[in-house]
Amino acid sequence: MTDETVASASPAPTPEQKVWDVPVRLVHWLLVFLVALSWWTAEEGEMQWHYWSGLTIVGLLVFRIYWGFAGPETARFSRFVKGPGTVLGYASKLLKPDYRASFGHNPLGALSVVAILLALITQVGLGLFASDTDGLESGPLSPYVSYEFSKDAGDLHEDAFNILLILIGLHIAAIVFYLAVKRINLIGPMITGSRKVESVEGPASGIAPVPLWRFLLGMAIAALTVFLIVLLPTTR
Amino acid sequence: MKIKLFAATAVLALGLAACGGETPAPETPAPEAPAAEAPAPEPVPATASIGETPADPVAFMKTRHDNYEDLGKNFKVLLDNSKLGTPDMAAVAAAAAKVNEYAGQMGTWFPPGTGPEAGKTEAKANIWTDRADFDAKLANLQTEAGKLVTAAGTDAAAFKAQFGPTGGTCKACHDTYREEDKDK
Repeated sequence: MTDETVASASPAPTPEQKVWDVPVRLVHWLLVFLVALSWWTAEEGEMQWHYWSGLTIVGLLVFRIYWGFAGPETARFSRFVKGPGTVLGYASKLLKPDYRASFGHNPLGALSVVAILLALITQVGLGLFASDTDGLESGPLSPYVSYEFSKDAGDLHEDAFNILLILIGLHIAAIVFYLAVKRINLIGPMITGSRKVESVEGPASGIAPVPLWRFLLGMAIAALTVFLIVLLPTTR
Repeated sequence: MKIKLFAATAVLALGLAACGGETPAPETPAPEAPAAEAPAPEPVPATASIGETPADPVAFMKTRHDNYEDLGKNFKVLLDNSKLGTPDMAAVAAAAAKVNEYAGQMGTWFPPGTGPEAGKTEAKANIWTDRADFDAKLANLQTEAGKLVTAAGTDAAAFKAQFGPTGGTCKACHDTYREEDKDK
Protein backbone atom coordinates (compact mmCIF):
# COMPACT_ATOMS: atom_id res chain seq x y z
CA MET A 1 0.00 0.00 0.00
CA THR A 2 2.66 2.44 1.08
CA ASP A 3 4.75 1.54 -1.95
CA GLU A 4 1.89 2.33 -4.23
CA THR A 5 1.21 5.67 -2.62
CA VAL A 6 4.84 6.63 -2.90
CA ALA A 7 5.03 5.31 -6.44
CA SER A 8 2.13 7.41 -7.65
CA ALA A 9 3.76 10.54 -6.22
CA SER A 10 7.29 9.92 -7.51
CA PRO A 11 8.51 11.35 -10.84
CA ALA A 12 8.72 7.98 -12.61
CA PRO A 13 5.68 6.17 -11.32
CA THR A 14 5.50 2.43 -11.65
CA PRO A 15 2.36 1.79 -13.63
CA GLU A 16 -0.33 -0.03 -11.72
CA GLN A 17 -2.88 -2.46 -12.96
CA LYS A 18 -6.31 -2.93 -11.49
CA VAL A 19 -6.59 -6.51 -10.20
CA TRP A 20 -9.66 -6.55 -7.94
CA ASP A 21 -12.82 -4.58 -8.57
CA VAL A 22 -14.84 -2.97 -5.79
CA PRO A 23 -17.46 -5.76 -5.49
CA VAL A 24 -14.81 -8.48 -5.06
CA ARG A 25 -13.02 -6.45 -2.40
CA LEU A 26 -16.24 -5.54 -0.62
CA VAL A 27 -17.40 -9.17 -0.58
CA HIS A 28 -14.01 -10.22 0.78
CA TRP A 29 -13.86 -7.76 3.65
CA LEU A 30 -17.54 -8.05 4.51
CA LEU A 31 -17.06 -11.81 4.76
CA VAL A 32 -14.10 -11.26 7.09
CA PHE A 33 -16.25 -9.04 9.28
CA LEU A 34 -19.41 -11.15 9.15
CA VAL A 35 -17.70 -14.51 9.76
CA ALA A 36 -16.12 -12.96 12.86
CA LEU A 37 -19.45 -11.46 13.88
CA SER A 38 -21.24 -14.76 13.32
CA TRP A 39 -18.73 -16.59 15.47
CA TRP A 40 -18.91 -14.01 18.23
CA THR A 41 -22.71 -13.74 18.29
CA ALA A 42 -22.97 -17.54 18.44
CA GLU A 43 -20.53 -17.67 21.34
CA GLU A 44 -22.44 -14.97 23.18
CA GLY A 45 -25.85 -16.44 22.41
CA GLU A 46 -26.89 -13.28 20.56
CA MET A 47 -28.94 -15.35 18.17
CA GLN A 48 -30.94 -12.54 16.58
CA TRP A 49 -27.68 -10.91 15.47
CA HIS A 50 -26.34 -14.29 14.43
CA TYR A 51 -29.45 -14.80 12.31
CA TRP A 52 -29.01 -11.53 10.42
CA SER A 53 -25.26 -11.92 10.14
CA GLY A 54 -25.74 -15.36 8.58
CA LEU A 55 -28.44 -14.13 6.22
CA THR A 56 -26.19 -11.30 5.06
CA ILE A 57 -23.52 -13.90 4.32
CA VAL A 58 -26.11 -15.80 2.27
CA GLY A 59 -26.67 -12.65 0.23
CA LEU A 60 -22.93 -12.08 -0.22
CA LEU A 61 -22.39 -15.68 -1.34
CA VAL A 62 -25.24 -15.50 -3.85
CA PHE A 63 -23.76 -12.30 -5.21
CA ARG A 64 -20.22 -13.71 -5.33
CA ILE A 65 -21.33 -16.83 -7.21
CA TYR A 66 -23.20 -14.64 -9.69
CA TRP A 67 -20.15 -12.38 -9.96
CA GLY A 68 -18.08 -15.47 -10.71
CA PHE A 69 -19.94 -15.60 -14.02
CA ALA A 70 -20.84 -11.95 -14.62
CA GLY A 71 -17.98 -10.04 -13.01
CA PRO A 72 -14.63 -8.91 -14.39
CA GLU A 73 -11.91 -11.32 -15.48
CA THR A 74 -10.28 -11.87 -12.08
CA ALA A 75 -13.65 -12.59 -10.44
CA ARG A 76 -14.65 -15.33 -12.91
CA PHE A 77 -14.43 -18.98 -11.91
CA SER A 78 -13.73 -19.97 -15.51
CA ARG A 79 -10.68 -17.72 -15.43
CA PHE A 80 -9.05 -18.77 -12.16
CA VAL A 81 -10.16 -22.33 -11.41
CA LYS A 82 -7.48 -24.53 -12.93
CA GLY A 83 -6.86 -28.27 -13.31
CA PRO A 84 -4.39 -30.28 -11.18
CA GLY A 85 -1.65 -30.01 -13.82
CA THR A 86 -1.64 -26.21 -13.77
CA VAL A 87 -1.85 -26.16 -9.97
CA LEU A 88 1.15 -28.50 -9.63
CA GLY A 89 3.03 -26.57 -12.30
CA TYR A 90 2.48 -23.34 -10.40
CA ALA A 91 3.41 -24.91 -7.06
CA SER A 92 6.64 -26.35 -8.48
CA LYS A 93 7.70 -22.91 -9.74
CA LEU A 94 6.79 -21.14 -6.51
CA LEU A 95 10.35 -21.00 -5.15
CA LYS A 96 12.17 -20.89 -8.51
CA PRO A 97 13.80 -17.75 -9.97
CA ASP A 98 11.49 -17.79 -12.99
CA TYR A 99 8.41 -17.44 -10.76
CA ARG A 100 5.92 -14.81 -11.89
CA ALA A 101 3.05 -13.60 -9.82
CA SER A 102 -0.40 -14.31 -11.22
CA PHE A 103 -2.92 -11.80 -12.47
CA GLY A 104 -5.74 -12.36 -10.00
CA HIS A 105 -6.01 -15.62 -8.10
CA ASN A 106 -3.04 -17.91 -8.65
CA PRO A 107 -3.87 -21.56 -9.46
CA LEU A 108 -3.07 -22.69 -5.91
CA GLY A 109 -4.91 -19.82 -4.27
CA ALA A 110 -7.92 -20.59 -6.45
CA LEU A 111 -8.25 -23.87 -4.56
CA SER A 112 -8.42 -21.88 -1.36
CA VAL A 113 -11.07 -19.57 -2.80
CA VAL A 114 -13.23 -22.47 -3.93
CA ALA A 115 -12.75 -24.37 -0.65
CA ILE A 116 -13.66 -21.34 1.47
CA LEU A 117 -16.71 -20.59 -0.69
CA LEU A 118 -17.87 -24.22 -0.41
CA ALA A 119 -17.28 -24.22 3.35
CA LEU A 120 -19.26 -20.99 3.72
CA ILE A 121 -22.10 -22.34 1.56
CA THR A 122 -22.18 -25.50 3.70
CA GLN A 123 -22.10 -23.41 6.85
CA VAL A 124 -24.98 -21.08 5.97
CA GLY A 125 -26.87 -23.95 4.32
CA LEU A 126 -26.80 -25.88 7.60
CA GLY A 127 -27.57 -22.74 9.57
CA LEU A 128 -30.74 -22.03 7.59
CA PHE A 129 -32.22 -25.38 8.72
CA ALA A 130 -30.56 -25.62 12.12
CA SER A 131 -32.14 -25.55 15.53
CA ASP A 132 -30.82 -26.06 19.03
CA THR A 133 -31.69 -29.09 21.10
CA ASP A 134 -34.31 -27.11 23.04
CA GLY A 135 -36.26 -25.85 20.07
CA LEU A 136 -35.61 -22.31 21.31
CA GLU A 137 -33.53 -20.95 18.43
CA SER A 138 -33.59 -21.90 14.79
CA GLY A 139 -32.70 -20.87 11.29
CA PRO A 140 -35.37 -19.35 9.04
CA LEU A 141 -36.03 -22.56 7.09
CA SER A 142 -36.19 -24.83 10.13
CA PRO A 143 -40.03 -25.01 10.02
CA TYR A 144 -39.66 -27.05 6.84
CA VAL A 145 -37.71 -29.88 8.48
CA SER A 146 -38.13 -32.22 11.45
CA TYR A 147 -36.75 -31.69 14.94
CA GLU A 148 -34.18 -34.45 14.42
CA PHE A 149 -33.00 -33.07 11.08
CA SER A 150 -32.87 -29.56 12.48
CA LYS A 151 -30.94 -30.64 15.56
CA ASP A 152 -28.40 -32.60 13.48
CA ALA A 153 -28.03 -29.62 11.16
CA GLY A 154 -27.38 -27.48 14.23
CA ASP A 155 -24.72 -29.86 15.53
CA LEU A 156 -23.04 -30.01 12.12
CA HIS A 157 -23.31 -26.23 11.83
CA GLU A 158 -21.25 -26.01 15.01
CA ASP A 159 -18.74 -28.69 13.97
CA ALA A 160 -18.31 -27.52 10.38
CA PHE A 161 -17.18 -24.13 11.62
CA ASN A 162 -13.86 -25.80 12.48
CA ILE A 163 -13.36 -26.68 8.81
CA LEU A 164 -13.88 -23.03 7.96
CA LEU A 165 -11.37 -22.04 10.64
CA ILE A 166 -8.76 -24.41 9.20
CA LEU A 167 -9.30 -23.00 5.70
CA ILE A 168 -9.06 -19.44 6.97
CA GLY A 169 -5.86 -20.39 8.81
CA LEU A 170 -4.36 -21.83 5.62
CA HIS A 171 -5.41 -18.71 3.70
CA ILE A 172 -3.72 -16.41 6.21
CA ALA A 173 -0.63 -18.65 6.33
CA ALA A 174 -0.37 -18.39 2.53
CA ILE A 175 -0.65 -14.59 2.69
CA VAL A 176 2.12 -14.51 5.30
CA PHE A 177 4.24 -16.87 3.16
CA TYR A 178 3.98 -14.58 0.13
CA LEU A 179 4.75 -11.55 2.26
CA ALA A 180 7.68 -13.03 4.20
CA VAL A 181 9.25 -15.41 1.68
CA LYS A 182 8.25 -14.02 -1.71
CA ARG A 183 8.15 -10.38 -0.58
CA ILE A 184 4.81 -9.99 -2.31
CA ASN A 185 2.12 -8.01 -0.50
CA LEU A 186 -1.28 -9.53 -1.34
CA ILE A 187 -3.16 -7.60 1.32
CA GLY A 188 -2.61 -4.18 -0.24
CA PRO A 189 -4.24 -5.03 -3.58
CA MET A 190 -7.23 -6.55 -1.77
CA ILE A 191 -7.68 -3.13 -0.14
CA THR A 192 -6.75 -0.74 -2.97
CA GLY A 193 -7.59 -3.04 -5.87
CA SER A 194 -4.32 -2.31 -7.68
CA ARG A 195 -0.88 -3.83 -8.03
CA LYS A 196 2.38 -2.76 -9.60
CA VAL A 197 2.27 -3.88 -13.18
CA GLU A 198 5.87 -5.14 -13.24
CA SER A 199 5.13 -7.73 -10.60
CA VAL A 200 2.47 -9.64 -12.44
CA GLU A 201 1.52 -11.12 -15.75
CA GLY A 202 -1.72 -10.25 -17.48
CA PRO A 203 -2.79 -7.09 -19.33
CA ALA A 204 -1.07 -3.89 -18.25
CA SER A 205 -4.41 -2.14 -18.20
CA GLY A 206 -5.74 -4.63 -15.65
CA ILE A 207 -9.34 -5.71 -15.47
CA ALA A 208 -11.87 -4.20 -17.82
CA PRO A 209 -14.78 -2.32 -16.25
CA VAL A 210 -18.09 -4.16 -15.96
CA PRO A 211 -21.36 -2.39 -16.80
CA LEU A 212 -23.19 -1.10 -13.73
CA TRP A 213 -26.40 -2.90 -14.59
CA ARG A 214 -24.66 -6.25 -14.15
CA PHE A 215 -23.67 -5.28 -10.63
CA LEU A 216 -27.18 -4.05 -9.85
CA LEU A 217 -28.69 -7.24 -11.23
CA GLY A 218 -26.43 -9.25 -8.92
CA MET A 219 -27.43 -7.14 -5.94
CA ALA A 220 -31.10 -7.65 -6.82
CA ILE A 221 -30.68 -11.43 -7.09
CA ALA A 222 -28.86 -11.57 -3.75
CA ALA A 223 -31.42 -9.38 -1.99
CA LEU A 224 -34.32 -11.32 -3.46
CA THR A 225 -32.82 -14.60 -2.25
CA VAL A 226 -32.52 -13.31 1.30
CA PHE A 227 -36.02 -11.82 1.22
CA LEU A 228 -37.48 -15.11 0.01
CA ILE A 229 -35.73 -17.06 2.76
CA VAL A 230 -37.01 -14.68 5.42
CA LEU A 231 -40.53 -14.28 4.06
CA LEU A 232 -41.22 -17.82 2.85
CA PRO A 233 -42.29 -19.21 6.26
CA THR A 234 -44.59 -16.26 6.90
CA THR A 235 -46.61 -17.14 3.81
CA ARG A 236 -47.60 -20.46 5.34
CA MET B 1 -58.82 -20.56 31.23
CA LYS B 2 -59.30 -21.19 34.94
CA ILE B 3 -59.93 -24.87 34.26
CA LYS B 4 -56.70 -25.17 32.30
CA LEU B 5 -54.72 -23.37 34.93
CA PHE B 6 -56.22 -25.61 37.55
CA ALA B 7 -55.30 -28.66 35.51
CA ALA B 8 -51.77 -27.37 35.21
CA THR B 9 -51.58 -26.87 38.96
CA ALA B 10 -53.00 -30.35 39.50
CA VAL B 11 -50.34 -31.89 37.28
CA LEU B 12 -47.65 -30.00 39.11
CA ALA B 13 -48.97 -31.09 42.46
CA LEU B 14 -49.24 -34.66 41.21
CA GLY B 15 -45.65 -34.54 40.11
CA LEU B 16 -44.61 -33.29 43.51
CA ALA B 17 -46.78 -35.88 45.24
CA ALA B 18 -45.32 -38.72 43.20
CA CYS B 19 -41.90 -37.72 44.31
CA GLY B 20 -42.84 -37.36 47.95
CA GLY B 21 -44.08 -40.95 48.12
CA GLU B 22 -42.24 -43.80 49.81
CA THR B 23 -41.54 -45.63 46.56
CA PRO B 24 -39.54 -43.38 44.27
CA ALA B 25 -40.40 -44.07 40.67
CA PRO B 26 -37.32 -44.88 38.61
CA GLU B 27 -39.04 -43.25 35.70
CA THR B 28 -40.83 -39.97 35.56
CA PRO B 29 -44.62 -40.11 35.33
CA ALA B 30 -45.97 -41.23 32.01
CA PRO B 31 -46.04 -38.20 29.73
CA GLU B 32 -49.12 -39.58 27.96
CA ALA B 33 -51.47 -38.86 30.89
CA PRO B 34 -53.66 -35.93 29.80
CA ALA B 35 -53.61 -33.01 32.16
CA ALA B 36 -57.37 -33.05 32.58
CA GLU B 37 -57.39 -36.56 34.08
CA ALA B 38 -54.98 -35.72 36.85
CA PRO B 39 -56.35 -37.02 40.15
CA ALA B 40 -56.71 -34.74 43.14
CA PRO B 41 -53.28 -33.97 44.57
CA GLU B 42 -52.25 -35.20 47.99
CA PRO B 43 -50.66 -32.92 50.57
CA VAL B 44 -47.04 -32.42 49.69
CA PRO B 45 -44.17 -31.93 52.12
CA ALA B 46 -42.04 -28.85 51.61
CA THR B 47 -39.00 -30.80 50.44
CA ALA B 48 -41.03 -32.86 48.01
CA SER B 49 -39.43 -31.57 44.85
CA ILE B 50 -36.06 -32.98 45.88
CA GLY B 51 -37.26 -36.56 46.19
CA GLU B 52 -35.20 -39.64 46.88
CA THR B 53 -32.37 -41.26 45.00
CA PRO B 54 -33.82 -43.67 42.45
CA ALA B 55 -32.87 -47.34 42.53
CA ASP B 56 -31.25 -47.07 39.10
CA PRO B 57 -29.92 -43.51 38.74
CA VAL B 58 -28.49 -44.08 35.27
CA ALA B 59 -31.80 -45.35 33.89
CA PHE B 60 -33.53 -42.45 35.64
CA MET B 61 -31.14 -39.98 34.03
CA LYS B 62 -31.66 -41.57 30.62
CA THR B 63 -35.41 -41.11 30.97
CA ARG B 64 -34.84 -37.54 32.08
CA HIS B 65 -32.71 -36.93 29.01
CA ASP B 66 -35.33 -38.48 26.72
CA ASN B 67 -38.02 -36.36 28.32
CA TYR B 68 -36.03 -33.20 27.73
CA GLU B 69 -35.46 -34.23 24.15
CA ASP B 70 -39.18 -34.78 23.67
CA LEU B 71 -39.74 -31.42 25.33
CA GLY B 72 -37.35 -29.87 22.80
CA LYS B 73 -39.20 -31.59 20.00
CA ASN B 74 -42.49 -30.13 21.19
CA PHE B 75 -40.89 -26.75 21.65
CA LYS B 76 -39.70 -26.80 18.06
CA VAL B 77 -43.31 -27.28 16.97
CA LEU B 78 -44.08 -24.08 18.86
CA LEU B 79 -40.98 -22.31 17.50
CA ASP B 80 -41.81 -23.32 13.92
CA ASN B 81 -45.39 -22.18 14.24
CA SER B 82 -44.36 -18.91 15.87
CA LYS B 83 -42.60 -18.13 12.57
CA LEU B 84 -45.50 -19.02 10.30
CA GLY B 85 -48.01 -16.52 9.01
CA THR B 86 -50.84 -18.90 9.85
CA PRO B 87 -49.82 -21.17 12.72
CA ASP B 88 -51.39 -24.62 12.98
CA MET B 89 -53.22 -23.90 16.22
CA ALA B 90 -54.18 -27.52 16.82
CA ALA B 91 -50.52 -28.53 16.72
CA VAL B 92 -49.65 -25.51 18.86
CA ALA B 93 -52.26 -26.43 21.49
CA ALA B 94 -51.04 -30.05 21.61
CA ALA B 95 -47.38 -29.01 21.92
CA ALA B 96 -48.17 -26.35 24.53
CA ALA B 97 -50.10 -28.91 26.60
CA LYS B 98 -47.14 -31.26 26.40
CA VAL B 99 -44.67 -28.56 27.44
CA ASN B 100 -46.93 -27.63 30.32
CA GLU B 101 -47.19 -31.26 31.34
CA TYR B 102 -43.43 -31.73 31.38
CA ALA B 103 -43.02 -28.46 33.25
CA GLY B 104 -45.34 -29.79 35.90
CA GLN B 105 -43.31 -32.99 36.28
CA MET B 106 -39.90 -31.41 36.17
CA GLY B 107 -39.58 -30.89 39.91
CA THR B 108 -39.36 -34.68 40.27
CA TRP B 109 -36.65 -35.07 37.64
CA PHE B 110 -33.71 -34.09 39.83
CA PRO B 111 -33.67 -36.25 42.99
CA PRO B 112 -30.36 -36.55 44.85
CA GLY B 113 -27.83 -38.87 43.27
CA THR B 114 -28.77 -38.07 39.68
CA GLY B 115 -26.21 -35.35 39.06
CA PRO B 116 -22.80 -35.39 37.35
CA GLU B 117 -21.45 -37.71 40.08
CA ALA B 118 -23.82 -40.46 38.92
CA GLY B 119 -23.00 -40.49 35.22
CA LYS B 120 -23.04 -38.59 31.96
CA THR B 121 -25.36 -35.63 32.23
CA GLU B 122 -25.53 -31.97 31.36
CA ALA B 123 -27.22 -31.30 34.70
CA LYS B 124 -24.83 -29.25 36.81
CA ALA B 125 -24.16 -29.96 40.47
CA ASN B 126 -25.51 -26.56 41.53
CA ILE B 127 -29.04 -27.81 40.86
CA TRP B 128 -28.72 -29.65 44.15
CA THR B 129 -26.75 -27.01 46.03
CA ASP B 130 -28.89 -24.04 44.90
CA ARG B 131 -32.14 -25.91 44.99
CA ALA B 132 -34.29 -22.99 46.14
CA ASP B 133 -33.24 -20.87 43.17
CA PHE B 134 -33.62 -23.83 40.83
CA ASP B 135 -37.14 -24.38 42.11
CA ALA B 136 -37.92 -20.68 41.76
CA LYS B 137 -36.80 -20.77 38.11
CA LEU B 138 -38.85 -23.91 37.58
CA ALA B 139 -41.87 -22.16 39.08
CA ASN B 140 -41.38 -19.39 36.49
CA LEU B 141 -41.45 -21.99 33.72
CA GLN B 142 -44.60 -23.51 35.16
CA THR B 143 -46.30 -20.11 35.32
CA GLU B 144 -45.34 -19.21 31.75
CA ALA B 145 -46.15 -22.69 30.42
CA GLY B 146 -49.59 -22.40 31.98
CA LYS B 147 -50.05 -19.05 30.23
CA LEU B 148 -48.84 -20.65 27.02
CA VAL B 149 -51.57 -23.29 27.18
CA THR B 150 -54.11 -20.54 27.67
CA ALA B 151 -52.66 -18.47 24.85
CA ALA B 152 -52.58 -21.49 22.53
CA GLY B 153 -56.29 -21.93 23.18
CA THR B 154 -56.97 -18.26 22.48
CA ASP B 155 -55.52 -17.27 19.09
CA ALA B 156 -52.36 -17.09 16.99
CA ALA B 157 -51.46 -13.60 18.19
CA ALA B 158 -51.76 -14.57 21.84
CA PHE B 159 -49.65 -17.66 21.22
CA LYS B 160 -46.92 -15.72 19.40
CA ALA B 161 -46.81 -13.17 22.21
CA GLN B 162 -46.49 -15.83 24.89
CA PHE B 163 -43.93 -17.98 23.03
CA GLY B 164 -40.94 -15.74 23.85
CA PRO B 165 -41.60 -15.39 27.60
CA THR B 166 -42.03 -19.16 27.92
CA GLY B 167 -38.80 -19.89 26.05
CA GLY B 168 -37.09 -17.29 28.19
CA THR B 169 -37.79 -19.30 31.35
CA CYS B 170 -36.24 -22.40 29.74
CA LYS B 171 -33.14 -20.44 28.83
CA ALA B 172 -32.88 -18.77 32.25
CA CYS B 173 -32.51 -22.16 33.86
CA HIS B 174 -30.23 -23.64 31.19
CA ASP B 175 -27.85 -20.71 31.53
CA THR B 176 -27.27 -21.51 35.19
CA TYR B 177 -27.93 -25.20 35.62
CA ARG B 178 -26.99 -26.88 32.37
CA GLU B 179 -23.50 -27.70 31.17
CA GLU B 180 -22.52 -26.11 27.86
CA ASP B 181 -22.49 -28.91 25.32
CA LYS B 182 -18.82 -29.59 24.71
CA ASP B 183 -19.11 -32.83 22.79
CA LYS B 184 -22.87 -32.98 22.34
